Amino acid sequence: MPAYILQRLGMMAITLWAIVTLTFFLMHAVPGGPFVSERMLAPEIEAALNAKYGLDQPIWAQYLSYLRGIITLDLGPSFKYPGVSINTMIATGLPVTLRTGLLAVIAVVALGVPLGIVAALNRNKWPDTTVMLIATIGVAIPSYVIATVTLYIFALRLGWVPTFGLDDWRGYILPVFALSGFWISFVARLTRSSLLETFEQDFMTTARAKGLRPGQVLFKHGLRNSLIPVVTILGPVVANLITGSFVIEQIFALPGIGRQFVLSITNRDYTAIMGITIFYAAALMVMILIVDLLYAVLDPRIKLTSAAA
Amino acid sequence: MSDIAPEMWEKLPPADAAAVAAAPSLTYWQDVRRRLWANKPAVVSIAFIILLILAAVFGPLFSPFTYADQNLRLANIPPAFETYAVPSGQGTTTRFFLNASNFNLYEVDDTGHVLGLLRGERKDMLKKSQAFIFGDTTLTLDYSSLPAKLVAADGATIAPSGWSWNRTYLFGTDQLGRDVLVRQLYGARISLTVAFVATLVNFFIGIFYGGLAGYIGGRTDAIMMRVVEIIATIPLTLYVVLLMVVFDSGLYSIIIAIGSVFWVDMARIVRGQILSLKSQDYVAAARTMGASTSRILTRHLLPNSIGPIIVTLTMLIPSAIFIESFMSFIGLGVTPPLASWGTLTSEAVETMRAYPHQLFFPAAAISLTMFAFNFLGDGLRDALDPRFRK
Repeated sequence: MPAYILQRLGMMAITLWAIVTLTFFLMHAVPGGPFVSERMLAPEIEAALNAKYGLDQPIWAQYLSYLRGIITLDLGPSFKYPGVSINTMIATGLPVTLRTGLLAVIAVVALGVPLGIVAALNRNKWPDTTVMLIATIGVAIPSYVIATVTLYIFALRLGWVPTFGLDDWRGYILPVFALSGFWISFVARLTRSSLLETFEQDFMTTARAKGLRPGQVLFKHGLRNSLIPVVTILGPVVANLITGSFVIEQIFALPGIGRQFVLSITNRDYTAIMGITIFYAAALMVMILIVDLLYAVLDPRIKLTSAAA
Repeated sequence: MSDIAPEMWEKLPPADAAAVAAAPSLTYWQDVRRRLWANKPAVVSIAFIILLILAAVFGPLFSPFTYADQNLRLANIPPAFETYAVPSGQGTTTRFFLNASNFNLYEVDDTGHVLGLLRGERKDMLKKSQAFIFGDTTLTLDYSSLPAKLVAADGATIAPSGWSWNRTYLFGTDQLGRDVLVRQLYGARISLTVAFVATLVNFFIGIFYGGLAGYIGGRTDAIMMRVVEIIATIPLTLYVVLLMVVFDSGLYSIIIAIGSVFWVDMARIVRGQILSLKSQDYVAAARTMGASTSRILTRHLLPNSIGPIIVTLTMLIPSAIFIESFMSFIGLGVTPPLASWGTLTSEAVETMRAYPHQLFFPAAAISLTMFAFNFLGDGLRDALDPRFRK
């Protein structure tokens, strides 16, 4: 196990390096410097700015100093907001993103899994058909459509929830719903099909034949064995929630990292785009590692060895 | 086994039994087609997609407007409205409707064609009202309290006389007076172009890359798959964002951006397939007979993995369409005045309080398209690989 974790960490470091390098050179391939705007800068000012941010140095020197920054967890300054570092930008946005993201993950597990169980237990009866219909709709509708349409219905028309901001708990409802809608549906479908597959296994018949109560059969034997695929997709869920949050945070005007990222894109704040991308990548890889470790804890049959990686 | 209906166990009359036993055997593809046709949602989806393609290609030809034609005098017109009829002297009546959000009156004919903006007298800023003169009738538009109402000279509120669809602009107009329907059709063109490109890229790069990695195996496979793994660690959306920042917005950039990273999933699937197929006896037989690598790949391995390839393709199309509209929504997609479903939705969000129709149509269009491709994907999966059936 420790060898496996070490190997995974090594792989993560290589991946992160590749991503840093890619983003660095992509952002430096953008035509025009970071200070090109409608207002023409005096050449002296531009030279002074370039010198301040080290842009007068050769590209490999800039690259090395950027790498050095990454290693010391310093993502550098923003080019558009003087005096603001990317670290502060992320630190201010993180709590909001983390809170909505966490609520969304909870919603995915707390709604998706039970819906899937209900559907599987009532296979081909009306609860199953209803859940599957909703799940099919939920998988197909893009998150930004869910966000805008629910915003229109529940905030503007009915006035049940505020249109923006997170001043009270009701402000969380729509963003979390829009963020998790796809994955609730997906997990419901997955739980259903995986549970149905488990029902056909011999050990389920054995459990029933032994005279266990239906609840015991379902939870101890059925569910535990069918939740493994659900756990596996929690990694991609986190990834998707992160990218989904770009647009959700923008629509609901939540001051999180996603909105910060979209703002940096519109402002062409290259260091911010770079920094936030790298942050996302790192956060994501850590999440996926955690999910993989969790996976082995839940299912002792899976052994984490270097060969399996 | 428990869900076999009791009547299925009944004995068939001899004639029927003979017919069942003598039914012609079906080839794999005949069987696939039969299963697909039996799947109602998939068939409806295919019909929808064909209609969408036809509408996107030929639809704009039938409209007098283009996606960029602006008419600021006819901005924000809804797709349906309540009409008022007012006698305007000499036995004629003027029909018009009131746009409750911008307090304008628009003249329409009795079939619902929009004729133009009605000019009123000077607005009384203090009383928040505006007078309109029709022949010898004078009406006052009172918008001091919402909703705005029309008041006759004697102070009575005038009720609308009827209700009509908008025949000039079937889906209404946007804030610059552009026809929403035509812009939607152009949006469909963009989404379908993206879907087409994503399919091509998947088909060529994905299959080539995955096939090669799976077939060669060993160290080459390990390195090639590490590259794929590194790419797949980050959501594809992030790459597309980065590439879009470099290329600058535009239709070509988004196509290049989506195309350059969208083959990863396909490469993985194909590799897995090839890996499991290449140890089959018929491959060994082909090799013994002196078949070249390319022949074994194209004539033996790929045709046998075509099922999963097609399923993956149809599953990837909606996600490509989604990424394009997503990018356009956050402002990295096509550039105005060109419209994509994503830009149409994001423009509509700003005005959705007053003009929800601008939000409703693009949202419905993208959702229906996603439905269709999803149902088609599910149907194809069930038809091509019955083991997946649940």
